Amino acid sequence: MDGDTRPTRRSKITDLQEAAILARDALRTRPELCLGGLFKQGRPVALVRALLAAGAGGLHLYSSPGAGYDVDLMIAAGAVEQVFIPGVTLENRLCPNFRSAVEAGRVTAHALDALTVVGGLMASAHGVPFQPIDALRGSDVLKHNPLLREIDCPFTGRRIHAVGPIRPRVTFLHAQEADRWGNLRHLSTMVYADQLMARASDLVIASVDRIVPDEVILDDPSRVTVPAYYVDAVVEVPYGAHPTASFPNYAMDEDHIDAYADLGDAARAGDREGLAAYIARHVTGPKSQDDYIAAIGGTAHLARLEAEARHG
Amino acid sequence: MSAAASPLEQMVVVLARDLADGELGAAGAAALVPMAAIELARELHAPNLTIGGEMFFNPQPGRLYPSMLDDRALGRCEAAETFIELFGHSHHGLDFFFHSGLQVDVFGNINLHHVGGTLHAPKMRGPGAANLSYCHTSTRFYICPTAHTARNFVEKVDFITIPGHLSGPEAKRAAGLTNEGPRLVVTPRAVLDFDPTTLRMRLRSVHAGNAPEDVQRHTGFDLAIRGDVPQTPPPTEEELRVLQERIDTSGALRA
Repeated sequence: MDGDTRPTRRSKITDLQEAAILARDALRTRPELCLGGLFKQGRPVALVRALLAAGAGGLHLYSSPGAGYDVDLMIAAGAVEQVFIPGVTLENRLCPNFRSAVEAGRVTAHALDALTVVGGLMASAHGVPFQPIDALRGSDVLKHNPLLREIDCPFTGRRIHAVGPIRPRVTFLHAQEADRWGNLRHLSTMVYADQLMARASDLVIASVDRIVPDEVILDDPSRVTVPAYYVDAVVEVPYGAHPTASFPNYAMDEDHIDAYADLGDAARAGDREGLAAYIARHVTGPKSQDDYIAAIGGTAHLARLEAEARHG
Repeated sequence: MSAAASPLEQMVVVLARDLADGELGAAGAAALVPMAAIELARELHAPNLTIGGEMFFNPQPGRLYPSMLDDRALGRCEAAETFIELFGHSHHGLDFFFHSGLQVDVFGNINLHHVGGTLHAPKMRGPGAANLSYCHTSTRFYICPTAHTARNFVEKVDFITIPGHLSGPEAKRAAGLTNEGPRLVVTPRAVLDFDPTTLRMRLRSVHAGNAPEDVQRHTGFDLAIRGDVPQTPPPTEEELRVLQERIDTSGALRA
């Protein structure tokens, strides 16, 4: 028989719950989770919430060199043991739960720098035992950074640094678009370290604002930022980065993040009720992304963030 | 437009005057004042100054944002990069960069990690630093905190996140820090620089409305004030007009 027996290619589209279970089970074998994006943009927050709802603990967190809300939320939910991220801040204010947990000794936050993290991901992605770094001197970070070793440069004899491979067990990414095979398109100006993480990790799960037809990818292949080969599962999650931004589709929800941080500050001062209610309402409560969108104020609220992304 | 400059506008003007045409540099994490300074330099005397090193080249923001790591803050830009280029920029080097911190000490060392206690048992844990490679690989940097108090200007930082001049010329040499390092410390009260022999911070000029003894009172170490301290040259009419009309269109520096 001619065309009829042709085997079918497997779609990588899945849903949030299945993606979360896939990640949770993989992380039980090795708890290293890496998150794409940077600070308040391009963060895979819907996947993070789903993972927390599915039940994860003892995580070792990696990211591009700067993170904030999602890392703080995972710490608030008690899911984190160690943080390997150079900068953890909400930028306009400190991360309340990160701060409390580190000060109380519940979470270990390693002192790292961006080149260590990016270099470690590069070593992993390139399949080499280490990445040399010749740009770090004089900082106390060097005394504490657990991922660095001093080595002699085999060419000049100079003392330089080496970072071994960082190989996340699971990486979560958020992009604006993908096809059903998992080819990702970041339409934002910056792509952060997402491409590197995809190549450095065991298991890569991406959320996208929308799934596009195959033709969109085939018509403009140079626009693909992460080829499907590196992606294991893709989930269509409208507003999947909220409350962080997914440019050019929607801006970060500064008010939401600020209100969350106020609850975190109250928890620091001993009143944990508001923070617990926040987690129940936004993380463990919603059964779907639609439920979550309703909890944050519905589509009218999101329309404002869409307008902000377009007009500044 | 108002004739009197705000403290942040005065900071911007001091920094802008020190940036040269043809240089390459970036604004750093707390971008409001540095980005305004870079833009002002480009408008007035440095049209060939390139902004690069933070995943984008030559952004054209429509107004000032507190962080540059935001697609809105970039506005349009000439090229977008990824974090892989951090190695490229670190190894090629920048001409200038900007840093700020929880604490700054007499040698211009900056602390962003913890105040009190130890790294893993801190009294107060700070954010850390998303990029400290530029402190070593940019030729020089500026320290420009938007607060100047005896609490953040301390004799010795609790943790050196960004090395300044360490404990002086000897220590700097021993650590292999061969670049200029911190050149100026520009605050809402004053301009400070470093004694070329000892590399200790000293008071260079005070902004309008600040007396040298006030600046000393708000600084947690001896500023070695001797004789008269000059006033910081205030913004010219042109500097202030360009800053307010073309760069800080939302008035963020006057808020």
